[in-house]
Amino acid sequence: MFFHIVLERNMQLHPRHFGRNLRENLVAKLMKDVEGTCSGQHGFVVAITGIENIGKGLIRDGTGFVSFPVKYQCVVFRPFKGEILEAVVTMVNKMGFFAEAGPVQIFVSNHLIPDDMEFQSGDMPNYTTSDGSVKIQKDSEVRLKIIGTRVDATEIFCIGTIKDDFLGVINDPASV
Amino acid sequence: MSIEPFNRLVKLAARAFYDDITTKGDNQPKTGRSDNRGIAVVVLDALSRRQWVREEDLAKDLKLHSKQLRRTLRFFEEEKLVTRDHRKETAKGAKIFSAAVAATADGQQHTKEGEEKIKLHTHSYCCLDYAQIYDVVRYRLHRMRKKLKDELEDKNTVQEYVCPNCGKRYNALDALQLISLEDEYFHCESCNGELVAESDKLASQDVGDGDSNARRQRREKLKDMLQNMEVQLKPLMEQINRVKDLPAPEFGTLQAWEARAHAQRRAENGESSAMDPSKSSHGLGYGGTPMPFLGDTKVEVDFGNEGKGNDVKSEADITGQKILPPWMIKQGMNLTKEQRGEVKQEAKMDGTLAAPEYSDDKKSNAEDNDKAFQDEYFKAYYAALIKRQEEEAAKSRQVGMKSKRDLNEGDEGEDNVDWQEAPVAGDANGNYKVNDLNVEADATAEDEDDIDWEES
Repeated sequence: MFFHIVLERNMQLHPRHFGRNLRENLVAKLMKDVEGTCSGQHGFVVAITGIENIGKGLIRDGTGFVSFPVKYQCVVFRPFKGEILEAVVTMVNKMGFFAEAGPVQIFVSNHLIPDDMEFQSGDMPNYTTSDGSVKIQKDSEVRLKIIGTRVDATEIFCIGTIKDDFLGVINDPASV
Repeated sequence: MSIEPFNRLVKLAARAFYDDITTKGDNQPKTGRSDNRGIAVVVLDALSRRQWVREEDLAKDLKLHSKQLRRTLRFFEEEKLVTRDHRKETAKGAKIFSAAVAATADGQQHTKEGEEKIKLHTHSYCCLDYAQIYDVVRYRLHRMRKKLKDELEDKNTVQEYVCPNCGKRYNALDALQLISLEDEYFHCESCNGELVAESDKLASQDVGDGDSNARRQRREKLKDMLQNMEVQLKPLMEQINRVKDLPAPEFGTLQAWEARAHAQRRAENGESSAMDPSKSSHGLGYGGTPMPFLGDTKVEVDFGNEGKGNDVKSEADITGQKILPPWMIKQGMNLTKEQRGEVKQEAKMDGTLAAPEYSDDKKSNAEDNDKAFQDEYFKAYYAALIKRQEEEAAKSRQVGMKSKRDLNEGDEGEDNVDWQEAPVAGDANGNYKVNDLNVEADATAEDEDDIDWEES
């Protein structure tokens, strides 16, 4: 799920950036530092959408770096248990398959793949129904449901299932 | 508050879930003799026929060793079926409980008098917690059904993997760390062994090799289990549904229950002086907190107060010192019971008899007072009058002495007139006590006024 929230961060800025466009430098550095990171609490920071305010800088003893408390608005993505996501399959093996939904990695074990789909090893490992009409292989797009999340301080990993109504492949890579 | 459906629930649950519970430790060899399966059911049944019960008494009733019973009860406490209470108490405190038991179990009189030991013993009490039992059983059923259904549909289950070499366990959430670059299998982090998916605990004989045939078999088995469960637990589920809207019997804490039992008994038996000592030792008997049942004891105290109030009233009637106003007596009448009606009526009669007396007295007193006051007033008035007359006489004498000056100054015409008249009225003066020779006309004129006053 996506959220638009306000976060705060202390930015350390090198003295060489001081000058007319200190602010631009600060924001650029913030974007570089923050976008794409993941925190367990808020999820993945997708994009910074604006700066709320920049506090007074504090010069650090010894280094000359200045730390600014910066409040910024950003879009975060946080997967939840029970959420339905669309993801791209990245790897298929005997144990199941891995998929990515943006920054989130999702593993679907073979128990959570419908019973009528069989693993086919080979050059392009895949799960195929007995009549061959549906195939899950690398780069397939699937709709899945998250049934478990592991949230660490800097990482979120999910396991999902496609063994439910309206879940499974949503396009056929072979036809593309 | 009907307890019967709940007791039925307890009995059903006992037979469904605790039939083959053995409280013996696993280390002890299970011989035929020490096999105590079924004890749990017996204990629960026994508890369903009681409210709060001392564990020693229960053990005696069930002819069980108290240790064995305690072990069973501890198990039930962990299962949240039973609430227990432990407290240190003297023999006296135990008697309170016995009295409470006697109050609830009619006919079954526990009269354990005797050894008034000051030594404190820890006694344990136990009671079924019906409200919680309902929740526990419901939750248990829900969990059972959910587990089976989830297994059946392989839904929301996190697949577990185990390393056959070192026995280390992983689950699907660790998958990212477990994939190896060489092949498509998961490998153990510590020994690099190939992990196998762990089979379901419920269907242990098919080792989870992912074979579709085995899977199908397992599904069949799960379905059977679910069906069996539904069939076998049907009576229990029905009972749960029946009990759903009923208020669960609530005995409260041990103290509250005891206090209530006391109150109930007192209400039934009326006032029993035999209970008084135990009541007085209520607070002292156990070191626990007396706060929760303070309200209940208040009720008892009220009984005492009423009795005392009667005494006081009757005393007042006998001595006649305090005469109660009628409104107070009325209030007393409303509060009393039938048996005290006579006393009350007497009291009322006394009061009503006394009240008119009082009012009469008061009236007569008031009249007397009035009279006395008037008399007093008249006396004072006459005295003042006489005094004034004397003064007037003296004054007139003085005036007479100063007559020259008065004349010279040419006072008010009236005065002069008086002066002139004085000789005329001079004879009249002789009638008065004031036989002053120098009585003046002024005084006489006033005297005439005074005489008028007197006559009135």
